[in-house]
Amino acid sequence: MKRETDYGYAIKPVYTPADIKGTDYAKDIGHPGVFPYTRGYHESGYRTRMWTQRMTAGLGSSKQANGVLKKYREMGQRGGMCVISDRVFSHCIDPDHPLGRKEAGILGWPGCSLLEFEELMEDIPLTGQSITLLGSSAPTVMRLAYVVALAHKRGIDPSEVHGSVMESPFENYFGQTDVQPFDLNLKLWLDASEYVVRNKIRMRSSVISQHFQESGGNNAQAIAVVLSMYKELCGKLVNERGLDFDDVALVPYELVSIGTRFFEEVAKVRALRRMWARIARDEFKAKTEKACQMLIAVHTSGRTMTYQQPLNNIARCAIQSLAGAMVGCTAMDNATMDNAYAEPSALAARMSLNTQHIVAHETGVADVVDPLAGSYFVEALTNEVEQEAAKILKKIDEMGGLIAAIDKGYIQEMLRDEANKKFVEMDKKERLIVGVNHLEIPPEDDFEIPIQKLHPGDSEAIADRMAAWKPTRDQERLKATIQQLYTDAQKGDRFNLMPSIVEAVEAYATSGEVIGTIRKARGLNYDPFNVIECPFALH
Amino acid sequence: MQAGNGIKVIVTMIGLDGHTTGGEVVSMILRDAGFEVVYLGVNQTPRMIIDAAIQEDVDVIGISSHASNYSQIEELVDLAKANGLDDMLIVVGGNIPREPAAQLLAKGVHKIFLPGTSGAAIVEYLSTEARSARV
Repeated sequence: MKRETDYGYAIKPVYTPADIKGTDYAKDIGHPGVFPYTRGYHESGYRTRMWTQRMTAGLGSSKQANGVLKKYREMGQRGGMCVISDRVFSHCIDPDHPLGRKEAGILGWPGCSLLEFEELMEDIPLTGQSITLLGSSAPTVMRLAYVVALAHKRGIDPSEVHGSVMESPFENYFGQTDVQPFDLNLKLWLDASEYVVRNKIRMRSSVISQHFQESGGNNAQAIAVVLSMYKELCGKLVNERGLDFDDVALVPYELVSIGTRFFEEVAKVRALRRMWARIARDEFKAKTEKACQMLIAVHTSGRTMTYQQPLNNIARCAIQSLAGAMVGCTAMDNATMDNAYAEPSALAARMSLNTQHIVAHETGVADVVDPLAGSYFVEALTNEVEQEAAKILKKIDEMGGLIAAIDKGYIQEMLRDEANKKFVEMDKKERLIVGVNHLEIPPEDDFEIPIQKLHPGDSEAIADRMAAWKPTRDQERLKATIQQLYTDAQKGDRFNLMPSIVEAVEAYATSGEVIGTIRKARGLNYDPFNVIECPFALH
Repeated sequence: MQAGNGIKVIVTMIGLDGHTTGGEVVSMILRDAGFEVVYLGVNQTPRMIIDAAIQEDVDVIGISSHASNYSQIEELVDLAKANGLDDMLIVVGGNIPREPAAQLLAKGVHKIFLPGTSGAAIVEYLSTEARSARV
């Protein structure tokens, strides 16, 4: 069995003061709330503000997802809601597209129009809790436009809504794929980010290592990749959109994937906070403390949830939640015991949410800030993962940043090699996973857990509903807004399309129509799959 | 001789599924074992996969599935039959619950590799079954 970190550093049997000899408490660690924020941003931690405990929802129709969100609220999830999109919305086609028809409402929420968002949010407040809509990068502008449009409809100033509905264009390379080209996703991301900064809307964008790590990347690589994303995207907002770094730095948030290797996970997050703080201060010349504080939420790792003996996943989830709590996260959402089978059943969701409640209220972990600080082992691991991440980050910087490194195939190759390495380690039993390659039992002895079933007819029903609804919209208003969007989208990459997208969304233009129109203006096919024709006569 | 010599395999995603890691890892395992692998990547429809299978004259189609595209896999099996691809294996790897897995096997999928399957087991199955299918 390997006794080394996932980035290949040997782990010793015992750690002593000699292992952190060069570490200066004031300079490298610091009190909680004090630069470089290794120990977190609040001097009294969760006593000031408990992390947001939430579960991800989204499956079937918008009305069904609304029911699940209400159920989660009953289970005590009040701080924020989190909804993941289906693959159809993630790609920005519509459910009534021939390819959409088969997958609408599968693995997520079919949020392809404002109507769907209105149904999702029925009797659920838009303010007083954080609104998080996940998916892929392409629908970023749609999700933001929904929030703005619904706020208008409810008579709320959009600046009173907070949460995260945007997603970085880089996730496309790390398993969170959509079919839209990178340059389009990047342009729309910059538009959305500029729009929230200029309009003082407290909406964040996920700029995250979670997908990278869930696709097989190791802890040091994950830190390097997320920091290089931050550098690239914040740099563009400052240099290309003329925004102030201290405002720009409040746009992204990081979602870390927390696996079962407890101490390494804790070290990763501590190192990440320290590294960003120094980059923000030294490279971007941050003037405010906030700009040096990377907002970090936790997702306990779906990748570690096993198909075999799924009840064992409850234990894994508890260990990971405890690690997530120890590192001082802002919000946490859990993988569930049935993650290797389907979207969470009600039982599995309750179990996972309760795991967080148990960690929060029964363990005492929330009473003390950064309780592992000063552990020779944890401080040494924090230094080591920082050292390894810094090497990778330097290499990415030398290539000219993350976009250049991706163009050269460096990141993709790194991820592929690491995913292969993880598989081989498991295959050779160098890393043990109970029930999978260690202490296996025959399938007939395994526990049966309830599995959320998919009903293929649901997708067709969502598609049929949209096809029947489309002609009932105010066609004149729709066409006018789409034409305006088409005209604006030909005005170059720096021309911000958010205002015309909001207009189109308020006229109930769908994601396929909005993104299709922008594609057409950029000389691409209206339909990324080249199956359907543009339904509008644009000029 | 390596296990995979002379055997040609398509590895592909189906539908809008973007969870590519599994398919990419399996492609690497098969290449290392001497198989000729044609990796089609994401956003492949059943029709596109069958067209590629005919054009490349492959022995095996391997679908990497991260749940939920079962109806499209069934469509693929039907299309393979309609095109007379009777000596070609269709295998699926992924986190497929027991009930749909049984349905896919009944439909004509030759083998389902569930999570935890070793690389050796995949290589052994394909090298044995793909050869005997062609005889």
